Amino acid sequence: MLKANNKLGIIFFPAFDWAISPTHPERQERLLYTQDQLREEGIFDIEGVEEYKPDVADIEDVERVHFCFPDVNSVTTRSHRISAGGAMKAADLVMTGERDCAFAMVRPPGHHAMKVVHGSRGFCNINIEAVMIEHIRETYGHKRVAIVDTDCHHGDGTQDVYWHDPDTLFISLHQDGRTLYPGSGFPQELGGPKARGRNINIPLPPNTSDEGFLMAMERVVMPILEDFKPDLVVNSAGQDNHFSDPITNMNFSARGYAALNEMLKPDIAVLEGGYSIQGALPYVNLGICLAMAGVDYSHVREPNYNPDQIKQDDQTTAYIEELCRQLPKLYFDPPAFDPKGDSRQGVISGNQFIRHKQIYYDTDGINEVQQESLTLCDKCRGLYKVETRADSGPLCLGVEIPIDACPDCKSKGYQLVEDGLIKGGYRYVQLINRKDKDYVRYGF
Amino acid sequence: MLLGIDVGGTHTDAVAIDMTGDAEVAASCKVPTHHDDLLRSVTEALAAILAEVDKDAVTQLNLSTTLSTNAIVQGKTEDVGVIVSSGPGIDPHNAMPCKDFFVIDGSIDHRGNEVRALSARQLERAVDACRENGVRVFAAVSKFSTRNPRHENTIRRMVERAEDQEGNPLADFVTLGHQLGGALNFPRRVATAYFNCSVWRLYNDFVTAVESALEEMGLGHVTVNILKADGGTMPLSQSRTMPVQSIFSGPAASVMGIIALTDIFHDSVILDIGGTTTDIAVFAEGAPLIEREGIDIGSHPTLVSALKVLSIGIGGDSAISVAGSGTVRVGPNRLGPSVCLGGTHPTLTDALNVLGASAIGDVDKSAQAIEVLASAHGLSGPDLARDAVDRASETIYDATRELVEEINSKPVYTIHELVEDKRVVPKKIYVVGGPAEAMKMDLFRRFQLSTEVPENYGVANAVGAALTRPTWELELFADTQRHTLFIPSLSYRENVHSSYDLEDAKKDAVNQLTMQLDSMGVFLQPEDAQITHASSFNMVEGMSRVGRNIRVKCQVRPHVVAVLGGR
Repeated sequence: MLKANNKLGIIFFPAFDWAISPTHPERQERLLYTQDQLREEGIFDIEGVEEYKPDVADIEDVERVHFCFPDVNSVTTRSHRISAGGAMKAADLVMTGERDCAFAMVRPPGHHAMKVVHGSRGFCNINIEAVMIEHIRETYGHKRVAIVDTDCHHGDGTQDVYWHDPDTLFISLHQDGRTLYPGSGFPQELGGPKARGRNINIPLPPNTSDEGFLMAMERVVMPILEDFKPDLVVNSAGQDNHFSDPITNMNFSARGYAALNEMLKPDIAVLEGGYSIQGALPYVNLGICLAMAGVDYSHVREPNYNPDQIKQDDQTTAYIEELCRQLPKLYFDPPAFDPKGDSRQGVISGNQFIRHKQIYYDTDGINEVQQESLTLCDKCRGLYKVETRADSGPLCLGVEIPIDACPDCKSKGYQLVEDGLIKGGYRYVQLINRKDKDYVRYGF
Repeated sequence: MLLGIDVGGTHTDAVAIDMTGDAEVAASCKVPTHHDDLLRSVTEALAAILAEVDKDAVTQLNLSTTLSTNAIVQGKTEDVGVIVSSGPGIDPHNAMPCKDFFVIDGSIDHRGNEVRALSARQLERAVDACRENGVRVFAAVSKFSTRNPRHENTIRRMVERAEDQEGNPLADFVTLGHQLGGALNFPRRVATAYFNCSVWRLYNDFVTAVESALEEMGLGHVTVNILKADGGTMPLSQSRTMPVQSIFSGPAASVMGIIALTDIFHDSVILDIGGTTTDIAVFAEGAPLIEREGIDIGSHPTLVSALKVLSIGIGGDSAISVAGSGTVRVGPNRLGPSVCLGGTHPTLTDALNVLGASAIGDVDKSAQAIEVLASAHGLSGPDLARDAVDRASETIYDATRELVEEINSKPVYTIHELVEDKRVVPKKIYVVGGPAEAMKMDLFRRFQLSTEVPENYGVANAVGAALTRPTWELELFADTQRHTLFIPSLSYRENVHSSYDLEDAKKDAVNQLTMQLDSMGVFLQPEDAQITHASSFNMVEGMSRVGRNIRVKCQVRPHVVAVLGGR
């Protein structure tokens, strides 16, 4: 009988009753063959590998992270909350020491869901990694967390949620935004003025294969992680870099994904995208499980795998080598924030950082405009405020008092909410007070 | 008249149940189990029963035997040639159950598509190697054979064509993995097919001997069934190709016996205290719990479905010992029968005799033997007896608590269905087996729960064996893109049209289950067939639906044909 080197917990929630539409890539069938493959391999009979049921995320678990308008129930289904609950379960298993590591193989995914939620973007409604991480911080104390997003699409939602958080390092490896949804994820996106260099993007050219991914891991991701010294490493494990994925253009293999996880050694992996549901997911998920458990994965191989056919060309290799030379500087020695840049990047006016954003919810066809501001405070990471309007809908207000808030910022936060209610003309107002765990919503 | 025989570790128990009015025990007996000659135990028990009932009135005999279990535990099994095709995944050598294990290149995927054909040359070499090693029984197993058995069938054809050095057929028996059931789990399928082969010859010799013994005793007309570990039976003729299903059927017989003897509604603990072991089972809301995937045989997880039963080494014949520090121990060893019944070493039964809880055999001899052991350690006889019985009930209590904790930490399956988010909290204890009555008060004191010892407690296992009805389950897979329907355990394949749907599949599953039981001579009420799983997934390529992937699981759940006492 096989024995795992690391005690691995697997949370499997295939959401067999939830789909965006019958033929959408994110549909009931998506994890069907993964489940078949894992069962047929007998992975749950390996000593040290255990399967667990997901928890269900409460409204409060979501409200701790997101400003949902009009409210959480309107923008999520039970499946979304179980998916986030699956990630929370993975975290609890690891944080309590019951497991060495855990993989939440859940759907629907979450990494395109931003701080403000009016609907679904890139098949995501709520950010399941962020809900998980803030659950960890609320329950087990404040932790330094590194998120390495290996989904083929830029994790723009996670980037947005943690834009101003110096204790969360976000590194996204993805297909270059000039060639793929959501069109963001460039190296100059480095985080807000209080968290410069805590957001690192590694845009890789189309047709990058195992060689390029593993080079970026070795030369960029691992040295940064070593310096950041996180308490926890989370892999936002999207699997659509696979050579057979129908909606992307990369050439990563199942064994490559396994090797990446062997190098990264994530404490928690959370499934994100991946839409080659027959040819890739069963093998990639198996490879990741084996790599995390510390079991030999060298016999894992896709039916149509031919390393020569998907090998990246020399030009691609040279491009990635150059990226690997330049990108680490952005973390180790980030360029200072330009306070007079354009308003989409953010400008500084007095002690306020102000940024205007336009966000398109492609899955739901919603346009949103928002103005975000952060008080630049010397004593804490600053009071966060966002005014948002979806299409021509009502104006809404979100205020977040940060976890390390100084008394000034805290009272200013409550003042903002009060002012907003009396004279602001907002239809919905939501307050997130991380310092005192006070989550309030007005305007039902 | 229904007969039930349970060949146990210490005793072979038998009952005859009269079904003319309310079901009643017409005769019962206990004879010692002869481990080297199980047939003798069976015929002795039958003879004792037939002395009391008319053999012409007997219509059915249900038999539970430890034969296969013992053979495996004692390593008295036959060499098996295990030939597998695994394709990509975990290295198949991790599932290697024996030395004659051959991995042949070839691959079938999760949809049942053949990705790579089986290597005929490697297969030939594997068969040659088996011939040289004198192997005569074979297991053919491929990954995803429950979706497409092509590789297993190819292996079988090749093995069946092969001849030994004398020009006779090389293979006496071949097990095909997909026929063991539709569940996915390649390593378990390998282990199950291996064990099925390894006891095949021994088991078939036994069945042949039982058949001729019945003929000689004038019981040739009787329908014979074999108990399975899942709490059901299968016809004797069918058991010849499925001997692995008879493994660990003893505990299932006691559980079914309890169902026949009592009315259980609550979460309960069932204790069957035998001669060598106590079997502990747990009921959730009146239904016994089952192992999620299958039982472990040795260190190998298998696909053999079974009721969840924990066996611990405490029984009436468990030897009493005293450690240097004066600590009294009971079991797990058995050093022959109790002193009161002619043994030499004092046992739990002797201790119960000393305390007056029972009066089995020669009570004075029990007292003398306990006194001798006690004085050697500076104790009094009654104190030692008290300690021994306390120790036994404490061990049973601790093991039960552990079992309940384990059940509550995992999703629980009952015979009926998955019980989600339910904690099992036992409210009642049912005790059967020889020492049941004598242990009742001690167990009550330990558990602090209502404790019941039903009538006929001494032969509850044989009653369970007699009244258990056949079970069968099958899984149906349909793939309308490939236009196939497949029922692995029946090796049944059919073409289906594009509009085949879940309702069609449910109907087909029930029909096939009914027909299969019918061919086994078992009449099934339509309501006895239950659909336990049904799902249908749209398969999409590009932007359009190309077919449905349908899975249906159907079963006749374990139950008894009647309960005792006119209830």
